[in-house]
Amino acid sequence: MGGFFSTIFSSLFGTREMRILILGLDGAGKTTILYRLQVGEVVTTIPTIGFNVETVTYKNLKFQVWDLGGQTSIRPYWRCYYSNTDAVIYVVDSCDCDRIGISKSELVAMLEEEELKKAILVVFANKQDMEQAMTPTEMANALGLPALKDRKWQIFKTSATKGTGLDEAMEWLVETLKSRQ
Amino acid sequence: MFAKLKKKIAEEAATAPRPGGAARIPRSFSKESITSVGADSGDDFPSDGSSSREDLSSQLFRRNEQIRKLEVKLSDYAEQVRNLQKIKEKLEIALEKHQDSSLRKLQEQNEAHQTSRAKMAEGMTLALEKKDQEWREKLSHLEKERKILTAQLQGMREQSLNLFQKRDDYDELEGFQQQELAKVKHMLLKKEESLTQMERELEASRKELSHAREDLQASNALSSRLAAELQELRQQYAGLEAERDVLLDAEESAENKITNLEQRGHELQVYIQQMSVDLQNAQVTASSYEKTLETLQAEHEALKLEYEQHKQKMIGEVEEKNQLMGHLQGKLTTLEKRLEGNLSGDEHVRELLQEKSALEQQLESALQQLSAARTSHAESVSLLETQIHQLNCKVTEGQAQLSEREESMRSIQESSLHQLKGLEQALRLANEAAAKSKDDVIEREQQIQKLQANLDLEIIKSEEAVSAVKHQCAEQVKRLEEQVATLEAAQEAEKAGAQHKISQLEKENEELKDSHRECESSSRRQESELERLKAELSSRETVSVEIAKALEETRKHKEDLQQQVADLSLSLKEKDWLIMDKTDTLLKKEEELNGLKRGHEELRLQMQQSQTDLELCQRQAAEREAVMGEQMSTLQEQLQEQQECWLASKSQTAGLELASKALKKQLHPSEDGEMEPNGEVAAAEIVQLQKENRELEQQIAEKNKMIKQLQQTMAELKKTLQKELKIRPDSEVPEVPNAALTVTNNSDLNDSREINFEYLKHVVLKFMSCRESEAFHLIRAVSVLLNFSQEEESMLKETLEYKMSWFGSKPSPKGSIRPSISSPRTPWS
Repeated sequence: MGGFFSTIFSSLFGTREMRILILGLDGAGKTTILYRLQVGEVVTTIPTIGFNVETVTYKNLKFQVWDLGGQTSIRPYWRCYYSNTDAVIYVVDSCDCDRIGISKSELVAMLEEEELKKAILVVFANKQDMEQAMTPTEMANALGLPALKDRKWQIFKTSATKGTGLDEAMEWLVETLKSRQ
Repeated sequence: MFAKLKKKIAEEAATAPRPGGAARIPRSFSKESITSVGADSGDDFPSDGSSSREDLSSQLFRRNEQIRKLEVKLSDYAEQVRNLQKIKEKLEIALEKHQDSSLRKLQEQNEAHQTSRAKMAEGMTLALEKKDQEWREKLSHLEKERKILTAQLQGMREQSLNLFQKRDDYDELEGFQQQELAKVKHMLLKKEESLTQMERELEASRKELSHAREDLQASNALSSRLAAELQELRQQYAGLEAERDVLLDAEESAENKITNLEQRGHELQVYIQQMSVDLQNAQVTASSYEKTLETLQAEHEALKLEYEQHKQKMIGEVEEKNQLMGHLQGKLTTLEKRLEGNLSGDEHVRELLQEKSALEQQLESALQQLSAARTSHAESVSLLETQIHQLNCKVTEGQAQLSEREESMRSIQESSLHQLKGLEQALRLANEAAAKSKDDVIEREQQIQKLQANLDLEIIKSEEAVSAVKHQCAEQVKRLEEQVATLEAAQEAEKAGAQHKISQLEKENEELKDSHRECESSSRRQESELERLKAELSSRETVSVEIAKALEETRKHKEDLQQQVADLSLSLKEKDWLIMDKTDTLLKKEEELNGLKRGHEELRLQMQQSQTDLELCQRQAAEREAVMGEQMSTLQEQLQEQQECWLASKSQTAGLELASKALKKQLHPSEDGEMEPNGEVAAAEIVQLQKENRELEQQIAEKNKMIKQLQQTMAELKKTLQKELKIRPDSEVPEVPNAALTVTNNSDLNDSREINFEYLKHVVLKFMSCRESEAFHLIRAVSVLLNFSQEEESMLKETLEYKMSWFGSKPSPKGSIRPSISSPRTPWS
């Protein structure tokens, strides 16, 4: 019934929860980012078979953040969650040069969906604390981000374990969402 | 007769090519060879009867050879028949004679043949029985071994079952014991926890006490601080007083300064007086200057006098010098005289003259000098005169100067007057200044007074301030005292409170003590309980000891069992070894069996071959039997015919007796082993072959049965072995990795499906557990995962919307969702 009251409050005060999807290949650090955003701590995670959904409050904005499992066999189910999505956080492992092509094809396939036409894209170049990490510009070029049209996007270099870059990214996301409203 | 024979021959000729080229060969054969062959064949059978089954092939071979020989013989027979046909007519007579003997011989030979046949049959049956017995013995041996093995297996299973049961019992016992021990430990832990909690409470109360004491100390420190502040204020007061003294000193110094200034005023008046005295002095000096002028004039006159005196003196001196000259001239003359006197007169004179001249010269020079001096005197006089003039001028100048000086005196007087005036003015100014200074002094005095007033005021103020400060200090002190008082009161209150607290704490303490006592009592109770528990424990320990004993017993049992197990394992190992050995032996026997199978198969193959051969032989034999039967019948017919012929040709035989006698000589050897024995031997051989065939077939059937039985027993043994291997997992099982491999293969096959299932499970779980707003987003995923139709998905959405919204009617369930319900269950709505 807590949810019931929260829905009452949300309906009374009109503060709609922003719906955000965290997507990306398996092992990119989506679940770690989700709980870093929610709790502010680094949690030990196991491969997500399924999804995690948490409510994150940032700058008086409530986000309903969905972290969908990124394993190959359950990636086709991403499209079940696309409706009414305000923003997509696409997490890419900066050290995983081998699978960045797969990541790009998944990203392109996702962005072609009609339900995500209005969604803002935030790309997290994660694991920047590692030595062999690629730079954000390299990643942006490898993911084909400069070729995107009619899409608000931004790439941030982040490290979920160190907690760097997440605040800037969320700041940008909040500002962009506020300006769009 | 002959036509038939000819037909026969023709048939023979027609059938002859079937056996092949061998049929043509016998024509070259002699009758002796045939007989020898026949004798050989006759000798073979007894040896065959005693021979083992291994010789069957050789026998078969021999039979084949015999059959060939028989074929040869048959062809020979045909020839013989032809010969006989030719000879028949000649032999008819001889035949009549020989008929009886031949018939007898036939009968005898038949009997002998039958006896030999019977012997052969007996031998064969004996050999078969022996073989049957051997096989049965082997079978019985195998069955015994099997039984022994099965019995061992059953015993092992029972032992293992017993072992498992005992192990289970032991585990249960251990479990019970551990549970009881855990319960006791748990109770002990609880008691210890309650004790620790009580101790913590005690410590907390002690901490509160210490806190209160610390508060007291803090308030004491506060009061001490306030006292220190008081002292500081007092010190400040003393400092202020000192400042006041300093200010008083400053006042005194200002008064001193005023007196000094007054003294300066006096000094200035004195200075003014001195200045007036100086003026008088200056006037005096002016008069003195006039006096000096007069003196200077007097000096001038004196100088004039001196000059005249000098003139007179000079004149006097000149006169004196002239006198001196005179003197000197006198002297010279005297000297000249002297010189003249002392020396030779001339020379003296000369010298004196010389001296005189010199003196004269000197006189002249002195005169010159005198004149020069006179001139210089005149010059000096002129100079003096000029000097006097100059002095006169100077006097005039001095007079001028005097006048100037007088003027200057006047001016000086004027100036002095001016100065005086100035001085007077200055005096006035000075007086004014003095007045001013007086005024200043007055002002200063006023200032001083003001300052004094100020000072007084300040003093008053300061006093007031001091008093105020004092007052403030007093107030502060009062306040502080009040504060102190309040603090003291507070302190007292605190003290009271603290005391109250202390009392409370003491009460608490007492309560705590009470509680402690209670605790102690409870602890005592608990201790008593503990003791009880300990007693219980001890009892339980005794129980546990008993249990331990039982355990030990069980351990012993276990050890025994372990020993038994070890023994059993040893025996198991031994039995494993035995089983291994037996498996080895089994394997060996399997190998043997395989060998036997192979042999059997070989035998089978041989049998089949022999069967095929036999069949062929049988066919051939049947054919030959048929042929022979036919031949026999034909022969019998022929015989009958021949007999008839013979009877009929008895008449003819007479004529042929001579020839027959001759022929008899020829025939006798042939008749004995040739005609009748050959046919009989062939028939017997065929019969024997048939029998052997049957026996062999029977043997084969038996062996097939044996093999089937052995295979069944083998399969059973394998099954039992596999069961045993499955029962004992600790032993090295060679089949386990295969099973694991198959399992992993299955898991690989089911991996994606499992992940999908896990995903479905997770999504459905979340769908059921999360909020409606989140669940609303999950409808799609659930419907995709569970292959919902559009209707079902929309139905889910409607129900969720109904749940989320406050109003609205519940959507009616569609028929497709509940196929199990035929009619709606709410007919009244």
